[in-house]
Order: sequence, then structure tokens, then C-alpha cells
Amino acid sequence: MLAGFSTHIFWEALSSGPFWRGALLALELTIFSFLVAIVLGFFLAIGRSSKSRTVRGGVFFYTWIFRATPTLLQLLFVWDALPQIWGVFRQGWFTPFLAAAVALSLNEAAYMAEIVRSGLLSVDPGQELAGRALGMSRARILRQIIVPQAVRIVIPPMGNEFITLLKLTSLASVISVTELLTAAQNFYSTTFSYAEAFAAAALYYLVIVSVLMVIQSWLEKKFTWTSRGRRRRTTAPVPAISHDAR
Amino acid sequence: MSELRADDLHMRYDDLEVLRGVTFTVEPGQVKVIIGPSGSGKSTLLRCLALLEEPESGEVSLEGRRPQPGEIGMVFQRFNLFQNMTALQNVMCGLVEVRRLPKREAREQATEFLARVGLADKAGQYPDELSGGQQQRVAMARALVMRPKAMLFDEPTSALDVELVREVLDVMESLAREGMTMVVVSHELRFAHHVASSVLMMDEGRIVEEAPPDEFFASPKEERTKRFLSLVE
Repeated sequence: MLAGFSTHIFWEALSSGPFWRGALLALELTIFSFLVAIVLGFFLAIGRSSKSRTVRGGVFFYTWIFRATPTLLQLLFVWDALPQIWGVFRQGWFTPFLAAAVALSLNEAAYMAEIVRSGLLSVDPGQELAGRALGMSRARILRQIIVPQAVRIVIPPMGNEFITLLKLTSLASVISVTELLTAAQNFYSTTFSYAEAFAAAALYYLVIVSVLMVIQSWLEKKFTWTSRGRRRRTTAPVPAISHDAR
Repeated sequence: MSELRADDLHMRYDDLEVLRGVTFTVEPGQVKVIIGPSGSGKSTLLRCLALLEEPESGEVSLEGRRPQPGEIGMVFQRFNLFQNMTALQNVMCGLVEVRRLPKREAREQATEFLARVGLADKAGQYPDELSGGQQQRVAMARALVMRPKAMLFDEPTSALDVELVREVLDVMESLAREGMTMVVVSHELRFAHHVASSVLMMDEGRIVEEAPPDEFFASPKEERTKRFLSLVE
């Protein structure tokens, strides 16, 4: 067996409250940031093809800032620098969790915008034309026809983003969010059982991602339009955006 | 009186003049078939009539006024059925989203129109599961259910396998017999011969010649028409 690895300690870590709560916190942070990023990303995507130069410029600037700087730096900026600049952030409501959520949402939105945009563009322009020929308004065409079809296209790259985001929540340990990595650190700081602590944390990540993969494949089937619920042919997936290390 | 008029339409994309003053009238119940080489402006003309594009100058009118949404139906070369909806939902869409009919009523009417194009049994199928000919018939039902005053067809059979062309033309013919006002861009010359009230030749953004089908095919006047016909037939 593994000489120094204690299964007993591993189980102890795995079933301890801090790990369990840390995993839950990581998941909450991921889901929250993911949802906010989708909404923000949608408007950024629409803004990118706006007629107004100012709007397009603004979107470019936003994407540029959040993609060109490290996520860790953004996180620290939100938590440490914002309170220094604005007094409102010095109050009790601005918790580490909220700071992390804000930083990760803003960061993720920059990437999400590209995915949403490629999704919208991948829908055959003939679909919009047919909607207009029926006399449908732009908003209705978007909601009833384009967005549902774009969803299918963006599910795989968005699944990637979810996983990335989940892993990025570990960065929040530096601003004292008690997520999984913090739980592991607290565990080994008293017991010196590094291997068991990290293995336990890793297992939680693995479980969350596995569940996500199941949900993702279910969603992909749900958004494949055949009456028999089986996949006939899938449109070529939008290539996932090459992952810059964040 | 549902006469459809195009009045001196001009259109350009960047430097390319696609329409150079097109004027024509379709009387109620008439079927006009437009032929011409690609790039002659046929499709653009149809899109202007369907209000999908705004001409640079000139006007489109129906019964002397600007057409309302849904008053002019359009059928596309590539069907353009909504991929995320079943055949029935496709036909219901305009009634629900534009006419704001309650779902039940829309469903009833849509079912009736699907039956009219012979596809009652395909109501629950998605476009991916239908043949090209079936898709095009659903697309016709989707336009017809809006009770348009005129129907436009942009090469409705040119994306179809040969053996599927007939079923689409059959629906169009029966539509013409019922007195629908139609403008058809198509190179189905036999269809033009049988069904058209008149045939128009377009070239370089202009209508070169217009005549009843017998005359048009037997003794075309313009050199351009003769040349085109000799290549198509």
C-alpha cells in the first residue's frame, strides 16, 4: 500500500464539515458567477455588434481588461483595492464571498461574451429572415428562434467555462473565502497530512465535475430537435476558445 | 382588390446596382413568373416586395398602401423552417407571435393548413426529420396560415431533389387555381407555361421583357430572352 497515506485520515478529511461546506461554497460561487456571467456576456455579445461605435468600443475595452490581466489580480483588486478607493466597500456587507463573486462574474463575462456571440452567429441567417417574413419583431425572433438554437451550440463551450470557473474558485482562498482549498490548508496546517487533505479536496472537485458532465449531456440531448429524442446529426460544435491560463 | 405593385425600385449593395428601376403590377389572382440569370436582381426584387429589404428608392404597395406584417407570404429556396420547432409549431408560430391568437386556436388553424399541404401526419416531426419537399410544403403552410394577400416564391424547388419537385409544384398549382396572387422566381419553365399569367425576364436589375407564357416562350422579342431561353431549355 501507500506507505505514508492514511486512508483513515483521508476519510476523516473527506467527511469533515469544513470540506463539505467548502465544496458547497465553491459550488455556490461557481453557479452564481456563471449565471451572472451569462447575462452579462449576452449583453456584451449584443453590444459587440451594436451600431454605436461607443458601445462597441466599450465592449472591446471591457473584454480587453478582463482577458489581459490575471484573475488572481482581479480578485485581489476587488477585495483590497475597491475598499481603498470607495468607502462603501469598507462596510460589513462587502464579504469575501461577495468580492470573489463579483471578480469571477466580471472575469467570466468577458469569456462568455465570445461564446454567446459565436453561438448567435452560428444560427443560419435564413432563420431570422423567415421570422421577419412572418412579421415577427426582432425581440421575438431572438427569443423564440435564435436563442434556443444558439443554446445547443454553446452548451459544450459553456460546460468548459463552468469547469474553469469551478477551479478558479480556489483562488478565492487568498481572500479568506473558506472554500475547498482553504479547508485543505486548514486541515494540513494542524495535522501535516498534506496528501490526505489534497486528495480529499480533489475528490470533491472530481465529483462536482462528473455531475456537471452528466447534466451537460442531458442538456445537449434536450436541445437536439428530433421527435424521437435521439441524436441524428449534430452541427459542428463551436471550437472552445483556446484557454488562456487564467 | 389586392394588387401588388412595385414602383420604380432602385437598390444597390455598395458599388453594385442590383435593381435599376423595376416597375410592375400583379393583379389579384395573377401569377407572375420571373426568370433570369443569377445576379439579375430577381431575389432582391422579391425581398423588397416582402419588405425584407428596404429599397434605396421606389415603393412597394399592396392595395395602394404599404403592406402590413404577414400580409405578403414568402417561401424561400432553402425552406428556412425554424429548426427548434416541430412542423406544427412552425405553422403556429406566426399566428401566436404576430397575430397573438390563443394557442388552441392557432393549433386548430395550423393543423388545418398542414392538412392542406398533405402533411397532417407530420405535425410532430422536426424539420431535420422531413424531406426537402415536405419541408418546403410546411414552409408554404406556415406562410399561408397567415392568410396573405399575395405569396412570393424565391426559387422554391431549386434546392430539391428532382423527384421531390413535383409535390411542391402541385401545391403551388392548386394555390394558383384557388386564385392566390403569386410572384414566383423559378426556372421550372413547364410550371411557368402552365400556370403563369405572364412571364418576366430580368437581367442586370431591369425587367427586359414581359409577356403571356405562350407568347413569351414561342416568340420572345428580346435578344437577351432568346439567348437565356436557349441555354435553359
